[in-house]
Amino acid sequence: MASRKKILLKVIILGDSGVGKTSLMNQFVNKKFSNQYKATIGADFLTKEVMVDDRLVTMQIWDTAGQERFQSLGVAFYRGADCCVLCYDVTSPNSFKSLDSWRDEFLIQASPRDPDHFPFVVLGNKIDLENRAVSTKRAQQWCHSKNEVPYFETSAKEAINVELAFQTIARNALAQESEVDIGHEFPDQIKLSNDNKAKQDACSC
Amino acid sequence: MKEIPRSASPSLVQMEFESDLSQSDEYKSFRSTVPLRQIVVDNDALKVWKLYDAGPRSVRCPLVCLPPVSGTADAFYKQILPLTARGYRIISVEYPVYWNVNEWCEGFRRLLDLLEIDRAHIFGASLGGFLAQKFAELTCNRPRVASLILCNSFTDTKVFNYTDSSPVFWMLPATLLKKIIIGRFPRKLMDAHIADSIDFMVERLDRLSQSELASRMTLNCFPAYIEPQKVQVDVTILDVFDESALSYSVKEEMYKCYPSARLAHLKTGGNFPFLARAEEVNIYIQVHLRGFEGTHLCASDAGTPVER
Repeated sequence: MASRKKILLKVIILGDSGVGKTSLMNQFVNKKFSNQYKATIGADFLTKEVMVDDRLVTMQIWDTAGQERFQSLGVAFYRGADCCVLCYDVTSPNSFKSLDSWRDEFLIQASPRDPDHFPFVVLGNKIDLENRAVSTKRAQQWCHSKNEVPYFETSAKEAINVELAFQTIARNALAQESEVDIGHEFPDQIKLSNDNKAKQDACSC
Repeated sequence: MKEIPRSASPSLVQMEFESDLSQSDEYKSFRSTVPLRQIVVDNDALKVWKLYDAGPRSVRCPLVCLPPVSGTADAFYKQILPLTARGYRIISVEYPVYWNVNEWCEGFRRLLDLLEIDRAHIFGASLGGFLAQKFAELTCNRPRVASLILCNSFTDTKVFNYTDSSPVFWMLPATLLKKIIIGRFPRKLMDAHIADSIDFMVERLDRLSQSELASRMTLNCFPAYIEPQKVQVDVTILDVFDESALSYSVKEEMYKCYPSARLAHLKTGGNFPFLARAEEVNIYIQVHLRGFEGTHLCASDAGTPVER
């Protein structure tokens, strides 16, 4: 088989500070978890090769700072994203309420070509904790209202659903990437024909 | 060791470049704010290192950029302006004629001595990356390298398949050498940024003398390889997934040599992503350098904007 083009999928994780974005990424990539909290400054990334439907793809996962004051990397950072992962903490209603603004933030900064169908995935993290405050139903309703965004309840600490969630993320990102690829390389042809004349006549100023 | 006063070579300032990037406001602003320094470090006064040194001089561990075969020091202007605005000190270097890697490393070491730089982070593009690794390898007992960012680089010169002819590069005419180099650039349709980056680099290539070209080609192709076990610093490997001068097997070899390296991939970017995808490359540079903040290897003055 001829070697197919290597594929890079850019995934961006967003969410309030402390919901476990770094932990989720670390659990998925390094299979490690640490109880110690360390705020991410700016952004950091890890890469991991995964199989999606018999295709080897490289996932580049960007972990961001929840605190806005560290967001210093600008719009170039969001450019070319193939999937956006929105995280909240199931024990923190405020982090759930923030999902709307994180989603808006992403759509504004990344300005994807088809915002209604851009792949998002929502992760409700920390389900290993007892003091749960956001119900599954409430989260599912939100995801439903946002054009059927896939929803997973995860625990980065106990490695629950992390692998599954990232598989879905990779698959949806790949679908997005392939879509963007078609016809993206060059703009539409500009046809020089008699049609232009008609337009000229319409405006003689 | 001495520094040549800038007025000694007025021709350099008056050079007229015509490519879109050279005509851009950003490039003009760069040339009008950052002076080109010329420094001789060897006994041979003809060996002139050219460099742009920008950002706070108080930073003792700056990022030093080394261009590929075709490049000159200004090839990194898209790193210098935005990153110095964020408090980093960046030095972009253009090397004079050296015919072997060890001499080059010795010259570079003297340059760092002269600039009073104890250790440097090095961003090396292609040949620049190879030389950076060699320098890290040869100075492993008395470290002068703080970390490496290797952009579309390689670990063994045999990948270019010119090892047999490398001993005769010195006598080939410049036109032929240019043809060999340009022959490696992709010719198919490409996006405008990549096309612009190639135009810019070809323009620089045209200004290089026969001996400059021949020496760089010799460094690039003369049989040599890196011993990665001696390169004991943090490494970020930056490469592109589209067609560049390097094949997948060369990249794979690179990953194998540095298993703990951070892999900074770009979907596209061509041979010169530091020009064609400067914003994304700058993000990777910042993420890389951020790991050293708060240590003695910090490349910025703690992130506060400074006057250039």
